Amino acid sequence: MAEKWKDEEWAKDFWYSGKVTRRRLVGWGAGAIGAAMLVPAPWRAAFGAAKAFKIGSEQPLSGAAALGGKTAIVGLQMAVDRINKNGGINGRPVELVISDDESKPDVARRKTLKMVEEDQIDVHVGGFLSNICLACMPVWEEAKIVNMISVCLDTTLTTTKCNRYSFRVHDYAPAQAVAFGPVLNKMGKKWHIAFADYSWGQSTRDAYADEIRKGGGEVVGTTGIPLGTADMTPFLSKIQGDFDGLFGIFFGKDGITIGNQAFDLGLTKKYKWAGDGAIAEPINLPALGNKIEGFVGINRYIPVFEGPFDTTHHRKFFDDAKARLAKIDPTGPLPDRYVQSNFEAMNALKVGMEKSKFEGRKDTMKLIESLEGLEMKLSDDFFTGDKVLRKEDHQAFPLEVIFEIKGGKHRITETIPGAKTIFPPACKFSAA
Amino acid sequence: MTRHQKIYWAGFCVVMALLIIAPLVLPEFWRRFLTEILIWGLLAMSSDILIGYTGMVSFGHSAFFGLGMYGAAAALLIVSPPNLWLAIIFGLAGAGTVALFVAYFSTRLRDIYFAITTLIFSQIFYVIIFTWTAMTGGENGLTFRRPALSFFGLFSTPFDTATLHWFVLAVVAASYLILRRIMQSPFGMVLQSIRENEPRTRAIGYPVERYKIVAVMLSGLFAGLAGVLYAIQNRFAAPDFVYFLVSGETVIFNVMGGIGTLLGPIVGAGFFLLLRELLGRLFGEQFPYLIPLGFIFIAMIIFLPQGLLGFARRWLNR
Repeated sequence: MAEKWKDEEWAKDFWYSGKVTRRRLVGWGAGAIGAAMLVPAPWRAAFGAAKAFKIGSEQPLSGAAALGGKTAIVGLQMAVDRINKNGGINGRPVELVISDDESKPDVARRKTLKMVEEDQIDVHVGGFLSNICLACMPVWEEAKIVNMISVCLDTTLTTTKCNRYSFRVHDYAPAQAVAFGPVLNKMGKKWHIAFADYSWGQSTRDAYADEIRKGGGEVVGTTGIPLGTADMTPFLSKIQGDFDGLFGIFFGKDGITIGNQAFDLGLTKKYKWAGDGAIAEPINLPALGNKIEGFVGINRYIPVFEGPFDTTHHRKFFDDAKARLAKIDPTGPLPDRYVQSNFEAMNALKVGMEKSKFEGRKDTMKLIESLEGLEMKLSDDFFTGDKVLRKEDHQAFPLEVIFEIKGGKHRITETIPGAKTIFPPACKFSAA
Repeated sequence: MTRHQKIYWAGFCVVMALLIIAPLVLPEFWRRFLTEILIWGLLAMSSDILIGYTGMVSFGHSAFFGLGMYGAAAALLIVSPPNLWLAIIFGLAGAGTVALFVAYFSTRLRDIYFAITTLIFSQIFYVIIFTWTAMTGGENGLTFRRPALSFFGLFSTPFDTATLHWFVLAVVAASYLILRRIMQSPFGMVLQSIRENEPRTRAIGYPVERYKIVAVMLSGLFAGLAGVLYAIQNRFAAPDFVYFLVSGETVIFNVMGGIGTLLGPIVGAGFFLLLRELLGRLFGEQFPYLIPLGFIFIAMIIFLPQGLLGFARRWLNR
């Protein structure tokens, strides 16, 4: 064999005869480009198949909800890494396009449009603050992009403000209230509700107030506290009178603030103390210390290996999530519902995309049809258990867990299957 | 027409031509971005009436901008189908009323006291909008439909990004020409006289307070118009726009672009927004872009105290 390729027999024909002139090279180059442009559509489609799916995700990485937004990303990245490790979706890898909405609706709108127009995302999974989800819903609808909501709990997202393009694979306030209502009525008949004064807090307040009343109880007063209020004392000091329990609807930093300040004002000793599980998320527990002892809450996920969560699927999720969370927070927090719901939302999207043989935005309607009524079975993808994405309003009903904080840890006191938390659909999709 | 005027109008026509062509050649995102620059530029230009021509630094422009936005939102939500001109009327009425209220109380004060009073007023309106959830949507804000571009029943066509850009450009250009004319009129000269020497202007016999009230109202109306345009573009109103930080940004646009030039604040807005966007793209989403922006702002104050347009003017006149 010749040492240099130029010495090979096949190369002599054009090398030694001096055929590689600059003019020829330019000519061949132009010919190659022309041929590439004229390549038939099926070939282009085949080449396109190797391209990664662009999955957009709006998350609050700064501002009032940054604490939760950063853990939400962990869940999403976990799911994407698993998907890519297993060969991607329909043979194509997945690429995350993460956008920091700064916890502000106006910024979120701007960045959503950027994801749609500039980044050319195929689908969206994300949304943390409900007011941001509400502000961006029309953008997804107009751009005809599937929006898999991964944290927002506001009731109206899948009721009065629902649209054909948005889905929610986790719970919402009316279902939580159905699950928690009987427990609250056992704890006491008269309640005062303190809530984060924005869409989620307001709709959750209404759902619990209705359920407490249905069970023969009474809501004697409500106190709305603006999101991100550092000193809640002026609001909390007005909460007094003859009632049995104080119900809190807060999350993130606000959960820590209310937990500490309600304790300091003696409210949690004087009254029974219950609320949304977001107040006592694992990431909040160190800052709350023993002031959160005895708190009774509801959540779709808590990091314990008891009852329905004592499964190998959960252990796999837990170990991976814990290791990843330790990288972003040296205190090593345990996974929370934000990690869980982002992980499961991405997996639901994957199942839908595979079922519909999704290739891009043009297949959005096929994807919607495959997601409507999607059955999610207990597995590594959906470790919290079975649930169905209801066709009428794109809402799922997962298992609910009632817990108590004892010794600084979550202890399950009751589990309510998703089927027992069903709330009638109240959504009318506008004609597409 | 002097040589300077000829150069000025030729330059103006070239820039206008470029802005008219822009939506035809720019991709969707940058088209929208350019429209947004024009809207923020209009807001900055409105505050230049006070900062640059009357010598009153206002931190209340977020209130005028926000009220214009919420006024337009009210019209777009109440009337079906949404009407463009009604949105403009409602927005201007909202901003004008607030401007009159703020002007009546704040123009009795000068310098830092005026600035602080306008800041407090803007925060009062912020708290009202933030807490009056039933009416304003509170923290959630309001979402609404975009009106069609219509001319009093003659024709009606839905806005797309290109037509919206041209509409905004027409409004901003008309606003600039009107404000330029006003600032060159005897009224504008009195405002500049107030800026240079208020006691002397009063001593000559001009009712300074009345002039200041009119200046604040004029400024508020154009800020409100910017709010209306923003509402129409984004189909969204949120209390964040009424927060004093927006007023702070408006002052920054003025300083960056050139105070007392009307066009400078538009240039400043464009420079600031473009820089923010580019820093975000270069260093990623979580990059704290405000830190380098702050350094650039400080450097500009030290080395370009007359702003970008002032510097360009000096350079051209050399």
